[in-house]
Amino acid sequence: MLATAVEARNLNKRYRNGTWANRDITLTVKRGELLAILGPNGAGKTTLVRQITTELVPTSGEVRVFGLDALSRPNEAKGCMGVIPQETNFYWGLTVRHHLRILGKLRGLPPSIASSRAAQLISDLGLDEHQDKPAEQLSGGLRRRLLVGIAMLADPGLLILDEPSVGLDPESRRDLWDLLRNYRRRGATVLLTTHSMEEAEALSDRVGIIHEGALLALDTIASLRAAHGFDFKISYLADGRTQVLYGASDTELLQRVQSLGIREYAVSRTTLEDVYLGLTDGKGRLKEGPTVDA
Amino acid sequence: MPEYYDSVPDLPIHPYATGGFRKFIADTVSIFELNFLPALKVWYVTVLLAAAFPLPWFYVTRAIAPDDPQVLRRLLAGTLVFGVAFSIGTIVGQTFVGQRFSGTLRLIITMPVSKGAYLLGSLAHASISGALTVPILLAFALVAGVDINLEWGLALSLILTVLAVSGLTLFVVSFAPSMQAGNLATGLLSLILAALTPVYFTMDQAPLLMKIIGYISPLRYAADAIEKSLSGRADVWAEIAILAAIAFVALSLGLWRMPWREK
Repeated sequence: MLATAVEARNLNKRYRNGTWANRDITLTVKRGELLAILGPNGAGKTTLVRQITTELVPTSGEVRVFGLDALSRPNEAKGCMGVIPQETNFYWGLTVRHHLRILGKLRGLPPSIASSRAAQLISDLGLDEHQDKPAEQLSGGLRRRLLVGIAMLADPGLLILDEPSVGLDPESRRDLWDLLRNYRRRGATVLLTTHSMEEAEALSDRVGIIHEGALLALDTIASLRAAHGFDFKISYLADGRTQVLYGASDTELLQRVQSLGIREYAVSRTTLEDVYLGLTDGKGRLKEGPTVDA
Repeated sequence: MPEYYDSVPDLPIHPYATGGFRKFIADTVSIFELNFLPALKVWYVTVLLAAAFPLPWFYVTRAIAPDDPQVLRRLLAGTLVFGVAFSIGTIVGQTFVGQRFSGTLRLIITMPVSKGAYLLGSLAHASISGALTVPILLAFALVAGVDINLEWGLALSLILTVLAVSGLTLFVVSFAPSMQAGNLATGLLSLILAALTPVYFTMDQAPLLMKIIGYISPLRYAADAIEKSLSGRADVWAEIAILAAIAFVALSLGLWRMPWREK
């Protein structure tokens, strides 16, 4: 069995206006893992995902999906993955059931299997009440659920989601996370992009941090935090600004703030956000000598 | 916190067909279905589009034209070409522009579907909707007393006209930077093309500019072939051959320019 689901090597994307959206990205998504690509808006996450899904042709580099060259065999590569694009729309007037049944056939399912698979997904995703509604009449959460269903139609070994929880209320977001966890439990690999630290921490086995088109780090959250150097932080207000101190233990930090005469503060463990800010200068600029572990 | 798994169940990597001739045909049918089912809900709009423009136009020209059967058949041929070109141009343009800029196309591009199957399926839907003009107008012409002797060339001329106009529309709207610009270009293309081509009269009667356009416009050859077919003549091979060549070039250009995998 192949150990890797996605392999991207030296991926570069330069748009016609001269912007480098991805610079020399090399990453591997292991089979069965959930990898989150984390970064702010405009960091190059969507460009990276669209190159893997074959929608966008890279300027240079190589993409393999389950060992298949995605650039020269895009349809075969697409046959292995279910994709939930960030910005997409449904066919106007077409019901939930019609979408799942017809798009199932486009996924290669024989017509009878497409119909039964559509019925099964409607039930699994809790869309029974909405199956005969036109898709454009669904709420944001239900629309996202339908997109997940479309991506899962052919039971693909790889799910790719671009900012899946943008615009969702907290309940719909938790539902989506449960869906992803359940699907993964069946053996699927999941690659998602997000700018939510909470989402990355809640779902992922490993996190890749992308900034200004470059992959700054790729590791487990525990390893990233260890690389950050400190386990704890203490935040307090001074001169109207939030100050943060990092330390190896909470007691050490408490002693330090108390010696400064500060009475109001908050102690917590360092988070992914601290790792991200540690890799950049906190103002959207890259610090010198980033740690890259691809 | 995420859950970690020691072993990974082996989901099949490639469970279903992603290519081949059967998949191509099945995909074409599915794309047709995706476009046709929503259109069925608003069938009256399609019928209105097919009838609203050509019928009054034919009625007015019929009223002011001399009562010569040959002239009337030419008017009918011109209106058929004008009506079909307008309907097809509008439907093809709006389908491709709308799906591209609204994001619906991304649903298809992320599937193992070929560009050709998407094009054919969408064109099949547009053709059926656009072709509604033909029976409506022919029935009206019979009621209006136009002497018609149908020949086989009519169907072939209309099919090739549909393909040529579709290809040209696809090519032009591929340059559209926005949905608004695309929709505007769509409507203008078929209108301008039909207005500047000698479709209501023969090349001999056309002014110089129209003659020049008439040499390269598919609508002129369509109108000539349809006029002959309405007169019971079967000698339309030359027009059909030129129309087929233009349709082939226009569709190739349209397919080549149609956005699919972005570069």
